[in-house]
Amino acid sequence: MRFTLRLWLAVLLAAASCAAQAGPMGFKDSWMAMGDFGPNWREAWVNYAVTPRDAVGVGALYMRSDDKTRRRDVAELTYTRLLQRWNSKNSQANVWFLAGAGSVEGNDFSGARTLLSPGIQLDYETTRFYVAATARLYRASGLNHDYGSVRAGFSFYEVDYEETQPWLIVEARRMNDLSDKTEITPMLRLINKGYFVEAGINNSRQFRFNFMHIF
Amino acid sequence: MNRSLIKSLFIIVSLSAGLLGGVAHAAVQTIRAEVNGMVCAFCAQGIEKKMRSLTQTKEVYVDLKNKVVAVELKEGQVLSTDTVRDLIKDAGYDVSRIETVGSTVEQIRAAVKVGRK
Repeated sequence: MRFTLRLWLAVLLAAASCAAQAGPMGFKDSWMAMGDFGPNWREAWVNYAVTPRDAVGVGALYMRSDDKTRRRDVAELTYTRLLQRWNSKNSQANVWFLAGAGSVEGNDFSGARTLLSPGIQLDYETTRFYVAATARLYRASGLNHDYGSVRAGFSFYEVDYEETQPWLIVEARRMNDLSDKTEITPMLRLINKGYFVEAGINNSRQFRFNFMHIF
Repeated sequence: MNRSLIKSLFIIVSLSAGLLGGVAHAAVQTIRAEVNGMVCAFCAQGIEKKMRSLTQTKEVYVDLKNKVVAVELKEGQVLSTDTVRDLIKDAGYDVSRIETVGSTVEQIRAAVKVGRK
C-alpha cells in the first residue's frame, strides 16, 4: 500500500517536473476569485490582473492540524507574477511566482505574527492533459507551515468552447508541522468558460471543494 | 420591341442583384487568428471578452480544437489585425497566423462542424 502511494507520488512528481496549468490569475484587467475548502484547509482569495503578467489581491487562509487541536488563521495581501509562459500550438506551460504578506493568528500562541508566503508554481496543459506543482513557504516567527502540492489529470474528451469539459484530477499535498500525512484527493473538475469547479474526497474521507471564477 | 425591353430589364435586374450581392459579401469582414497556447476554455475566455469589448465587433467565435479565434466586424467598421494580435497577446497567448477573411463567424463555425463530420 505504502509502495503504491510512493509510486503514485513519484509519477506525479516526475510529471510535474516536466511542466504545469489554469493559472492563479486571469487576463489583464480581470478579477479572479478562488476558493479551496476542506476540513483542514480553507482558502479564499481574489486578485486583479494589473498587467498581463501581474496581479495583486487579498486572501484568507485557515489551516488546522490533523488532530484538530491547532489552528491558524492567515490574512494576507497577495502578489502573483507570471514569470514565464510557453505557448505552443497544442499546449501551454507556465512558471508563476506567488507571494503573500500578512498576519497569522493561532490558538496555541497569543497575538498576531507577521507572515510571509513566497512560492512558485509550474504548470503544463493541453486540451486533454494537465499537470502542476506548487511549493509555497508559510513562515512566521516560530512557525513553519510550508506547503507543497502536485496535481495531474486528464479530460475525458475534448469539447467545444461553449461546452462543459469534465476532468479527473488527482492532487497530493503536504502541509508542514500541522499534518504528517500526504493528502491525496481525486477530484472531478468541470470547466465551462468562466467557471471552474472541482470536488472530491481525500484519503481521510473528507470532502473537498474548489472553485475559480474570472469576472 | 417588347421582347427586347423585357430582356434589357432582366439583364439590369440580374446585374443589380449580382452587384448588390457582391457588395453585401464584400461588407463581411472577419479577422481570423490561429492562436498558440489556447488549450482551455477557462483561460480562453479572456480572448473572447477582449474581442467583445471592441466597438467594432459584431460576433466572436472561439474554436478550441483548432485553436482559432474569429472576430466578425460590424458593417463599415475597421479593425487592424495588429490590434487583434495585441489583444490576444494581452490575454496571454501568441498568434501564429492572422488574416482578414470574407466569411461570417457563422460560416466559419459551420465549416468547422462540417470538417469534423
